[in-house]
Amino acid sequence: MSVAHVDELQRIEMPDGFVWRPVRRHFGIRAFGVNAYSALEAGGQIVEEHTESTLEHEEIYFVLRGRAQFTVDGNEHELGPGQLVFVRDPSLKRSAIALDDDTVVLALGGKPGEPHTVSAWEAMFAAVPASREERWDEAIAIHEEALAEQPDHAALLYNLACMEARGGRHVDALVHLRRAVELEPKWAEHARKDSDFAAIRHEPGFPG
Amino acid sequence: MSDDAGYEILSIDDLDRYTTLQGSQVLRPLRRRLGFRPFGVNVWVGESAGDHVVEPHREPEGTEELYVVVRGNARFTVVEETFDAPVGTLVHVPPATFREATAQEPGTTVLAMGATEGKAFTPGGWEDFFVAYAELRDGNAERGRTAMQQALEREPDAWQGAYNAACFEALAGETDAALEHLQRALELDRREVRRYAPEDADLDSIRDDPRYAELLA
Repeated sequence: MSVAHVDELQRIEMPDGFVWRPVRRHFGIRAFGVNAYSALEAGGQIVEEHTESTLEHEEIYFVLRGRAQFTVDGNEHELGPGQLVFVRDPSLKRSAIALDDDTVVLALGGKPGEPHTVSAWEAMFAAVPASREERWDEAIAIHEEALAEQPDHAALLYNLACMEARGGRHVDALVHLRRAVELEPKWAEHARKDSDFAAIRHEPGFPG
Repeated sequence: MSDDAGYEILSIDDLDRYTTLQGSQVLRPLRRRLGFRPFGVNVWVGESAGDHVVEPHREPEGTEELYVVVRGNARFTVVEETFDAPVGTLVHVPPATFREATAQEPGTTVLAMGATEGKAFTPGGWEDFFVAYAELRDGNAERGRTAMQQALEREPDAWQGAYNAACFEALAGETDAALEHLQRALELDRREVRRYAPEDADLDSIRDDPRYAELLA
């Protein structure tokens, strides 16, 4: 058993301005997907604009504290504590802005009819603070841990390669980048323009 | 609100309220109302201070649960540890672990979610059973029967469904229907039904019927 108050959870500020408060990762929950989000201040992003088309998740956003302005499928809804939006259709665009400084939104989600798998984006989000401070070994370890469960996840492999290239592990970076491209050729295009690969772009075997 | 649009806005105050038999805990069935399919999620309320918000229990069959206090203040006991949980507290309970919580303030409300690692979620019949018995106690036998029927249709080969339908009809005074469901339950799992039926007060109204003794023989 473990207990935490939502304010005690890690605060991971994402480049888009919202703050991820990892719930599933904090407790090591394996059976379902659950996270919390807060904003830097009132008026700030609290749920990034996205669809669930790739993961095909059904999602519930529940306002735990404060107020938030949700936009779902182009319609705006202001929600307070105890109110929720259930987004059944994964293709709908959803996002939210915090209306109070201390607004907290819980996000519950998963793919119907399948056992829960930990979403790869959690590792990518979790590695953001380490990457920002150029602690590459730590960022790499977070990705390796996620890849142990989903070894053929192309986006994770690509991200890992970025961090290895930045961290001076050039051989590993090339291996993982080539594997990402082999799984999903679109990553070759990204790699050509990605400044993370500046140090290895002219190595033999660089995809492109 | 926008059901056809592929999403829906809801307040937990819009949900139906169903009390337990003991009347000290209220279920507001969220998953059932939304038709949310990935895992179990429900709202539990202790209306008065001292009422249960989470009944004392262990989750069988490997169900992992997370409780989030969304209103009031709950006093949790997990295994042997007791602690106060104000709004915003998250309590993670692994499978097969004892847990309970009582309301410290009127209207204390907990969001409970759960599922089993490595298994695709299917809604447990307990949600329908809970609703069915609560409707029956409130004098709405027909609405209760509809909920019971949903459980039977979802899992026609689960003995628990047929057995609970037998209990429901026995409580409703429908002896013939109760005996029919009991017969079906016995066909599905004779050993389990014979283990529970003799001690189950829900079946008292049909116990003196000669057909009951015949079935259980």
